Amino acid sequence: MDGGFVYLPARSEPVTIDTAELPTQEADELKRLIEAAGFFDLPEASEPPRGAADYHRYTVSVTDPEHSHTVHLTDPIEDPDIQALIEYLEAKGRESRTTQ
Amino acid sequence: MHWQLGHRHSIFCILPPHVLRDIAQTGTEEQRQAALDTLAADSTFRTLRAIRLAAPVATAAPSTVSLSAEVGTGEAKQLQRTMFDCHNTGRLPGDPVRAEGGPATNEPAVDEAYEGLGATYDFYWETLRRNSIDDQGMPLNGHVHYRNRYNNAFWDGQRMVFGDGDGVLFNRFTIAIDIMGHELTHGVTENEAQLIYQDQSGALNESVSDVYGSLVKQHNNDRQAAEDADWLIGAGIWADPARGVALRSMKEPGSAFEGDRQPGHMRDYVNTIDDNGGVHINSGIPNRAFYLAATGIGGYAGEKAGPIWYAALRDPRLKPDASFVQFARLTVINAEILFPGGEERQIIQGAWDEVGVVIQI
Repeated sequence: MDGGFVYLPARSEPVTIDTAELPTQEADELKRLIEAAGFFDLPEASEPPRGAADYHRYTVSVTDPEHSHTVHLTDPIEDPDIQALIEYLEAKGRESRTTQ
Repeated sequence: MHWQLGHRHSIFCILPPHVLRDIAQTGTEEQRQAALDTLAADSTFRTLRAIRLAAPVATAAPSTVSLSAEVGTGEAKQLQRTMFDCHNTGRLPGDPVRAEGGPATNEPAVDEAYEGLGATYDFYWETLRRNSIDDQGMPLNGHVHYRNRYNNAFWDGQRMVFGDGDGVLFNRFTIAIDIMGHELTHGVTENEAQLIYQDQSGALNESVSDVYGSLVKQHNNDRQAAEDADWLIGAGIWADPARGVALRSMKEPGSAFEGDRQPGHMRDYVNTIDDNGGVHINSGIPNRAFYLAATGIGGYAGEKAGPIWYAALRDPRLKPDASFVQFARLTVINAEILFPGGEERQIIQGAWDEVGVVIQI
């Protein structure tokens, strides 16, 4: 994640999640979120609205045996399924930072 | 993806805004809600129309700004706020919960945003004779409780959106009045100068928002003198006060929190691809220049330094990809135009010099 009202380097650190290391239920939930968001069909970049400022930008890469795809998303994200995926990843990021 | 819009009451659709506001304040609960829904839809339309009108045109703003009522439309004050509750979802605009003149909701985020946007409007009107974001009375829409534990506030090109913070890192983003001033000023900058949100022009865009965000706070503090102001942006937002005093310090960039990387001098300029080329990082340099100019001149900064920066922002010679030096030069030129023969020009040139932005005129 990058951007926002203030620059916090720690928030920009990438977070890597390996589903093989997640409990089965959680791995299934993450796969469901990725599928519901139509992740592999998303365009690579979404531009912020004209004149926008202080927005968050998210870079998400997902790799599975059949696909590898990276997208750059910008707030405000309208699609609730994509939002749900981003909120899951943000929560994992917070978790990761507090356990470091 | 399109969001389903709420039903608009056909009668309310044809009523002018002031009548709708009256109904929103005095009608039955059902009438109130219908009026609020209509105002919300109407405001959105007006906003979009205003933004279209604000598109850059060949005949740009005048080259100077006077301190008289010549600036602005000359119309009466047209403050029209509507606060929306997103109910911790990402759905915008959310539900309208407080229209202009409506009673306090006792919901801190709603009431703080309402008051903060009002204070920002008042600052622009009373200090710069500017009638809202577009100088044409554009309605001010604030959207609170955006998403869940959302650690941010942003301007999406039409409206101000505020998160609650996660309570661990940040408190709610409406807690500091200067944040509302900052966000609204992004609209003013887009309307006047379209400073590209990248590298030095982006850092200038950010700095202008901090400058007027801070001046909104100083104006609200009974036109506080520059030397008495704290020059902090986002004071009180850290959930754990031990982590920092604010998000930025215009007086001492780099000192607001542990890990604050803002420079206060060009020798420490940060070249980075993060943060749109460091727009929230290198803004510390023009921020400190403004602080030095304002305290050098003395008194309430809305009297001289604020109008000089505003004149530079509206100067048609300011290009969307302006560098620090180019903007600085326009502040010095406009200081001489606004205060011919005065000490202001030298003070401002000295302020830029002190942060390593050397101007040759």
